[in-house]
Amino acid sequence: MSAAWRVVLAEALKQHRRIFGTKLVVFSMLVWPVLTLATTYYTILPVTAAPGAAERWPLVGEPQRLAAFLAAGALAYTFFFSLVQSAWHFSFERVSGTLEALFLTPASRLALVVANGSGALVQNAWLFGAFAVAAAAATGTLHVAHPGMYPVAVAALLVPAVAWGAFLNSLLMFSRDSAFLYTLLDDPLWFVAGVRLPLFALPLWVKAIGLAFPLTTSLAVLRGALLDGEGVRELGGDLALLGGLSAALFALTAVTLRVGERHAQKTGSLQLF
Amino acid sequence: MSAGIVIERLTKTFPPPRRVFGKRRPAPAPAVDGLSLTIPAGAVTGLLGLNGAGKTTTIKMLATLLRPTSGSATVDGLDVVRDAREVRRRINLIAGGERMVYARMTGRENLWYFGQLYDVPRATLHRRIGELLDLVGLTDAAGTLVERYSRGMRQRLSIARGLINSPAYLLLDEPTLGLDAPIARDLRAVVADLAAGGVGVLLTSHYLAEVEQLCRYVHVIDRGALVAEGSPAELTAGTRLPHTVELTLTDPAPDATKAVDALAARAGAEVWHDTDIDGRPRVTLRHPDDLAGELTTTVVRAGGAIARVEVSPPTLEDAILAMAAR
Repeated sequence: MSAAWRVVLAEALKQHRRIFGTKLVVFSMLVWPVLTLATTYYTILPVTAAPGAAERWPLVGEPQRLAAFLAAGALAYTFFFSLVQSAWHFSFERVSGTLEALFLTPASRLALVVANGSGALVQNAWLFGAFAVAAAAATGTLHVAHPGMYPVAVAALLVPAVAWGAFLNSLLMFSRDSAFLYTLLDDPLWFVAGVRLPLFALPLWVKAIGLAFPLTTSLAVLRGALLDGEGVRELGGDLALLGGLSAALFALTAVTLRVGERHAQKTGSLQLF
Repeated sequence: MSAGIVIERLTKTFPPPRRVFGKRRPAPAPAVDGLSLTIPAGAVTGLLGLNGAGKTTTIKMLATLLRPTSGSATVDGLDVVRDAREVRRRINLIAGGERMVYARMTGRENLWYFGQLYDVPRATLHRRIGELLDLVGLTDAAGTLVERYSRGMRQRLSIARGLINSPAYLLLDEPTLGLDAPIARDLRAVVADLAAGGVGVLLTSHYLAEVEQLCRYVHVIDRGALVAEGSPAELTAGTRLPHTVELTLTDPAPDATKAVDALAARAGAEVWHDTDIDGRPRVTLRHPDDLAGELTTTVVRAGGAIARVEVSPPTLEDAILAMAAR
């Protein structure tokens, strides 16, 4: 077994122990996204009744498809935001003194942050993911061009999410004042990525910012592949963009880790909190 | 490839904190200043100094957690900066206090976690975890969450964590801090065994009796620079601190008292006369040499009857305090 895979297993156990303090947590993993989804649905519902709304956004005339659109948004958001939370929690390793213990080991730093993100993702999102897919299948809102699009959709969600999580981990690990990022990446992530509204409804400048977040394109692929019956050909541009964004995030993570560790070694900041 | 840890002209100056506005603060004094020393395999080497002397900074540079500003440090010929990853496989650090373990994992899970990170072979990891839990007396608590451990238990787990990769060199920074006396004694025995088995150990401790007991060689640093080195006995002798000889007589003996005063004047020793708790006459002599033999001979020749003699040689602690006071 490769050393990197062993790091992934170790981090998965740590995440499991950190997140699952009580059994209620399992329940909350489903309740939180469902509540979020319900809040979003009933917030949008009055807007859909506005005159001319159906012309601009045909989905508002089909409540089930609208719910599926929002559920896809909530699912993808759950994936990405669980990584923001995970990175924020990872930054607490500095306070508890375990960050130094991690940096004392020969484990690959990139493997550590990727493993931490993946572990959090699996722990946080599997229940709602399973629920969302089951609900979509039961209500008949899934419209998939080819069974091969299921793994494409999963990969389009997982790979950029892990890259995003690794990048955030690398940022928060070396910063003592990282709480602002948590705030910065919560509501704005909802807004700019088109989680609650279709991208065409957003101003151009918001769309431009949204493109920098992999969640935006992940969501476009997820909705296109699972709800709109689009194939690889139609989604080729988005998939290429996602691949590029993910590669860029992994590369940026590697650089941030190297620069961050060197800076921490220079200033002694690993022990400061 | 040179064996052991070799430090040459090692210097560490922390950069001043950055300010967004205003003048940049001047660089502080070096935390470690041109330090050169060697830590051989198979022995316990002490690194002593008062608070702020640079002990922990030195240890963290050897552990690759800090980067030297200048100079070099090698572990079996591997540079701590250039070959950091390989160095990390060969060393481990145990610091005082109960940090460096995860509270929401059990003791066994903590060791498994760090075993995975050190890539300890799977075939040996479980056996190694069992051995270490046994070594630190946590076998019965192996399945308990660390958040339920006492402070001493957490520290013992930290010690086991520091041994999980069977390090060739062990850096111990106040390892017995907060431990009960029996556990601290057991840890000293473990350290002595590790050294006997070929592990090179660098030890810092405020418990200087511990250093005297374990260390073959000791380096004393002050403000980051080496101020003395040698065996504990050599360091103590080098400071010319006084031996204290306390002699109690069975009954008052004026001739003996006069003879003792003459001896003290001749030798240049400090002398006190008082009585012990039972009212018996007592004389105390302080001199860099041990004057116990001369004192007892003098008293007996002068007709005094001796009830008790106690000699207190200077300790390593006395020597360190004397060096710090200079």
